Amino acid sequence: MPRVKAILLKEWAEAIRIKMVLFSVAFLPLFMTGFATYLVWQGKALPEEARAALLNTSLMYFFILPVVIPLSIAAYSIVGEKEQGTLEPLLATPIRDWELFLGKALGPVVPGLILSWGAFGLFLLAAKVILGAIPKGVLSLPWLLSIFALAPFLALFAVFVTMIVSSRTTDVRAAYQFSSLAVLPALIPLLVYIGRLTAVNLTFVGIEAGIVVSLNVATLYIAVKLFRREEILTRWK
Amino acid sequence: MIRTEGLTRRFGGVVAVEDLSFEVRTGEIVALLGPNGAGKTTTVRMLSCLIAPTSGRAWVNGRELHEDPSYIRATVGVLTETPGLYRRLSAWHNLRFFADLYGVRGAEEKIEEYLRFFGLWERRNDPVATYSKGMRQKLALARALLHEPKVLLLDEPTAGLDPESARSVREFISELKGEGRAILLCTHNLPEAERLCDRIVLLRTRLIAQGTPEELKRRLFGTRVVVELANPSPELVSSLGIPEARSAELVGEKLYVEVTDPRRDNPVLVRRLVELGAEIIAVREAETTLEDVYHELMGGADAQG
Repeated sequence: MPRVKAILLKEWAEAIRIKMVLFSVAFLPLFMTGFATYLVWQGKALPEEARAALLNTSLMYFFILPVVIPLSIAAYSIVGEKEQGTLEPLLATPIRDWELFLGKALGPVVPGLILSWGAFGLFLLAAKVILGAIPKGVLSLPWLLSIFALAPFLALFAVFVTMIVSSRTTDVRAAYQFSSLAVLPALIPLLVYIGRLTAVNLTFVGIEAGIVVSLNVATLYIAVKLFRREEILTRWK
Repeated sequence: MIRTEGLTRRFGGVVAVEDLSFEVRTGEIVALLGPNGAGKTTTVRMLSCLIAPTSGRAWVNGRELHEDPSYIRATVGVLTETPGLYRRLSAWHNLRFFADLYGVRGAEEKIEEYLRFFGLWERRNDPVATYSKGMRQKLALARALLHEPKVLLLDEPTAGLDPESARSVREFISELKGEGRAILLCTHNLPEAERLCDRIVLLRTRLIAQGTPEELKRRLFGTRVVVELANPSPELVSSLGIPEARSAELVGEKLYVEVTDPRRDNPVLVRRLVELGAEIIAVREAETTLEDVYHELMGGADAQG
């Protein structure tokens, strides 16, 4: 898939040159890791149950991060091309619709995941230093599945929604503002976990995964339907 | 290389291009001329498989448009109305990206070759945002040529260029023609079209006329002879009365006479003028430019429209 790779590399090359994007991509993981570490440090002296709750809250950040990081890149994805007038030469190449769409979707998701997982690793390291050992609950199967299997699907959903929004708005800022709605599905488990104050369990992760995968299929269908070069050129103005 | 038959494109109730038929053969440059909104860009977009025709047919590189759009896009080079470059990326990065999309072999050598040719090599690592309009246009042209397309669709290739750069681009386009490519050139620059193009297609939603510049001039203005007179008078026109002079008009000291065959008709005309007492300073063929043709035809289209 050399054309998908070309789109990916181009997206990244452009993204790192946009200050707003660079801020969310570089600063946010560091901030979230720092804050999660602070919570762990705070909970050091607390009873076991309260410490578990704090730990769950800090782990949530690494669940949300892969969803939030790609948004700024994705918001720029289509509307940025429109702003620069680069869509027409791009669409005049032999690239197929699905290659363009996949490249545009993966462009934001891949760095989001790498940075989030990197931040998670940093957090584990910090937790080990502070607490002497990584707490058992952190490396539980439900949490690992949430962070490494569910989060990528949530990120993809957010990117698909953002790309649809990006294709319908006229400037990057508007796309970015509207696309923040795409984070909502990632917030649902957050609210549930916080409300119940319990560790995540496999049943909940399974239900959430089912919903998110269904949402992904539906959004992907809509996004691909809207992603037609003729529509893009003649109506996306 | 390019052939269209009754090509039509409507956007809702608006007709952008209607019943357009023309051809661009290998080794030929054809100018698509017309005012803004005449349908030039829509035609280019249809031929580069960016938008589909509402009706009619077209073939590019031997394939019909709907048959294999990917093949057509891979073998056509398009220079769009605006350069459409990634402003934050360097010239090198822009070309590398498009080379990868077109699957260009030996991309690095080709990129270097074009950047050097267009005088952009020294600035290859600077963001395109820092380039002048002319430099961007050159880079966009390099992008259109990178994959060595057999068919080139060039929309205003010299727009925004200084005279020297425009000249080098024109010379370059002429060389491309020699390499056996078919080139469709959209331009508002009539002298450029006249200098570069083998044939002209005049478009205003519908086809107004097509032919070589010489054919169009002859068709519209015939062969005009200018007779410079020392004693011009309106009576010379009214008394001329010879069938060889199809029409005559006196403008200042110059008498414009339309003849059919200058070799046969000019001696008869000169003899008649001398008989009428005209003092002739010089006799030569009148120069008609493509601009005259354009205004005549577009004016006619206006009157019909």
